[in-house]
Amino acid sequence: MIQFNSTRETVAFLARRATWGLVPGELDELEALGVEGTIDLLVDPSGAGIAEEPSAWADWEYTYDQSDRDLSRAQTLEALDRWRNRLQTTQRPLDHQLAWFWHDHFAVSLQVVRYVPAMLDHLDLCWSLGRGDFRKLIRAVTTDAAMLVFLDGTTSTGAAPNENFGRELLELYTVGINNFNEADVKAAAVALTGWNVRPRFGWDTRFVPRRHDDTPQTLLGVERVHDVDTTVAAVASSPACSVFIASKLGRYLLGDIDNSTIFALGSTFEAADLDIATLVRATLAAGAAGKATPMVMAPLPWLLQSIKSTGALVETSSLARALGFLGQPLANPPNVGGYPGASTWLASSATAARFSVATALATKVPAESPALVAARGGDWAGLADLLLRPTGFSEPTLAALDDLDDSVTTRPGEGALALALASPDLLIA
Amino acid sequence: MPISRRTFLGGAAGTAAAGGGAWATLLRGSVEAASPTFSSATAPLASTTTTAAIAEASQATRAHLSVTDRVLVVLEMAGGNDALNTLVPDIGSYHDARPQLALGDGDLVTLSGTDYGLHPALGGLVPFWDGKMMCAVAGVAMPQQSRSHFQAMDAWRSGVPGAPSQTGWLGRWLDLTIDAERNGIDDPLRAIALGGGSQALVGVKTMATSIRNPSHFGLITQPGTDADALIAAFLATSSPLVAEPTLAAAQQAIPGTLDAVTLLAAASSDEDELGFINQTPGAGQPAVDLLATAARIIEMGIGTRVLTVNVGGFDTHAGQVDNHDALLRDVGLGLEQFFARLEESGDLDRVMVMTTSEFGRRVRENGSGGTDHGNGGLQFVFGPAVSGGVVHGEYGLGLLDDGDIPLAIDTRSVYQAALEWVGGDGAGDGVFENAPARLAI
Repeated sequence: MIQFNSTRETVAFLARRATWGLVPGELDELEALGVEGTIDLLVDPSGAGIAEEPSAWADWEYTYDQSDRDLSRAQTLEALDRWRNRLQTTQRPLDHQLAWFWHDHFAVSLQVVRYVPAMLDHLDLCWSLGRGDFRKLIRAVTTDAAMLVFLDGTTSTGAAPNENFGRELLELYTVGINNFNEADVKAAAVALTGWNVRPRFGWDTRFVPRRHDDTPQTLLGVERVHDVDTTVAAVASSPACSVFIASKLGRYLLGDIDNSTIFALGSTFEAADLDIATLVRATLAAGAAGKATPMVMAPLPWLLQSIKSTGALVETSSLARALGFLGQPLANPPNVGGYPGASTWLASSATAARFSVATALATKVPAESPALVAARGGDWAGLADLLLRPTGFSEPTLAALDDLDDSVTTRPGEGALALALASPDLLIA
Repeated sequence: MPISRRTFLGGAAGTAAAGGGAWATLLRGSVEAASPTFSSATAPLASTTTTAAIAEASQATRAHLSVTDRVLVVLEMAGGNDALNTLVPDIGSYHDARPQLALGDGDLVTLSGTDYGLHPALGGLVPFWDGKMMCAVAGVAMPQQSRSHFQAMDAWRSGVPGAPSQTGWLGRWLDLTIDAERNGIDDPLRAIALGGGSQALVGVKTMATSIRNPSHFGLITQPGTDADALIAAFLATSSPLVAEPTLAAAQQAIPGTLDAVTLLAAASSDEDELGFINQTPGAGQPAVDLLATAARIIEMGIGTRVLTVNVGGFDTHAGQVDNHDALLRDVGLGLEQFFARLEESGDLDRVMVMTTSEFGRRVRENGSGGTDHGNGGLQFVFGPAVSGGVVHGEYGLGLLDDGDIPLAIDTRSVYQAALEWVGGDGAGDGVFENAPARLAI
């Protein structure tokens, strides 16, 4: 459990877990707001006068042209650049943390879906519905074009249902393993048959009654389940659902939390009629109250937080390469389980890549950056604070920083900054 | 300046060297050769000196081959490989259940001495079958086999049915033999996962090296940087270990990574520079590339005892005909080239390859030209010690379990056989609880 000795430590923790990084000075602002004020700002930025943002792709058009593969590729990269750019510049970071959480939760992959606009619509769903009523989110995702393609809903018919989505709806998206049986998988698959996507009509989704089997099914003990609405109602009303989602979001934000915390969050979520904003607020409050554990950061938040803290000037194309190198390319979870977890980010591949990216990043930090100034002056406490670790570096990292000769890089301070970014301390949030 | 933690940490170097002759010589040779080129991206860390050292070490190894020179390679076909369309039974009910997907006599490659045919994409493996170096296990499953990818994969990797486990079956074996084989000192190169980590290798005393993409594995520093000094500082952040376990885990990853980068750069990069990979048929495909790296690691004779190679995509719910063909083609070609390479280097006798997949697929096809998650599956085992040309077990198509292939053979009995080979008689003892006897393969 992480216990905090000051407001600054607590709000730095919230920033590490629920934002994409802070620029120098912002930690002071959060400290002034206090712990509750910071949670308010994160969960309800509109209440603090921060306007809703348009979709990252609102004023952007994908001009799909099958004959021009270079254009198509360039546009895919541009679409993902707009997303990274939004994560780096947003004034509503928790909105996008939740969007990322749901993207990881549903694990829809661009490599499988292939059609960029459908993938962007799916990501927009994760973002726009990711803070509200969980039922609405699940309902929308179930008949979302990208999902129908991703888990084969488009070819699932009454005559021969495809179980792919039905199984993952139960196991990965709503109630979790051991809370359903094989008959439930088959029931969900039958009830969800008949949905189709028409690529020639702008990937419009539609329900085709003659491809659907309307026979009433029993799903998780609920009778007369026969279509999308009754399926969503059945899974969402299961007591396992609120606990499963609370557990998953709790682990995403707080680490390896104990069962009593999970059940308490599950009850809060259920009592709030599955309102996600209520759940996330309670989760952050539990973390601030000392229920969180240290956790290994995934490459995306590690990279973006490092960039924000140091002010590194990185071209978007380099960022995309860095994320691929680190093993977490955007919009492409490797399988339906979502992005890998701690053991992958601790493994040799990720460790070597982290060192390599940190050394590259340090060269992109402007001379006047407070982080580089602190690194140059050997102000390790100041550097750690800028990197959202106000309690300072661990003893071994401090010793390594002290022993590092400043001539290790041509530009003074760069080596120490690279070492700090690559250090085990920065991998742990 | 040397970059291995063994050299940095002074005292540890002696203990590592005491572990085994050829391996220790090699480590020193490659470390010294590595440092001048360390600062460049994925450039070879090993010079010709290292390659010579490898060849020498490898020669020395072969001169007196012992059990500890053996290497077990587990090829994980993740996603649930469709057993029935890989090793195809000549039975009417198979054709009835799969009007779109069934492979007919005209498509199949005959497997002599059996009633089964092999998917045509695996045709290149027939010489191994005919040479009695390859056998198949049909209807293989874990007891209480799950139809969930994640639960099933956990069980297959842990070798513990029906309950979560902190360790993997190979990790437990590595733990049990760490004293006898390594004087109790873990060596991260003893177990290597390629294509992503495998829970099968997780032990209590053993920490495996996990490499997602060998061609991207390296330490890059920027021009004008004293790379050795910066890497030395990175290593210094790893000790002494702090009390907090998550931070300590991040520290622990660093020394093994540095060792692995040094040694494996020689395995994965030197020939890439010469265009070796690009001239290989099938290059760029996961199994072909990863198995090529595995072969190089084995040739180097660096004391690796277990390798896992993870290839995904076998979750063929839709459009299975083309997808499965491409997946099996990659695996077939990868294995063919892997064995050819080891035969050329004289290391073939040191290697056993076993395929795994977390479940087989539903017997009846779905409406998407694919198959859903099933139960019993298929394994292949390759190696000089295999009594090949035999299909063990059966698909039991007349006695389906809720539409799926029932368990005919417990996976753990195949694991036992693999352990007895890689570790010698009795090597499987203590690895499984209430496990069935070793399958005679």
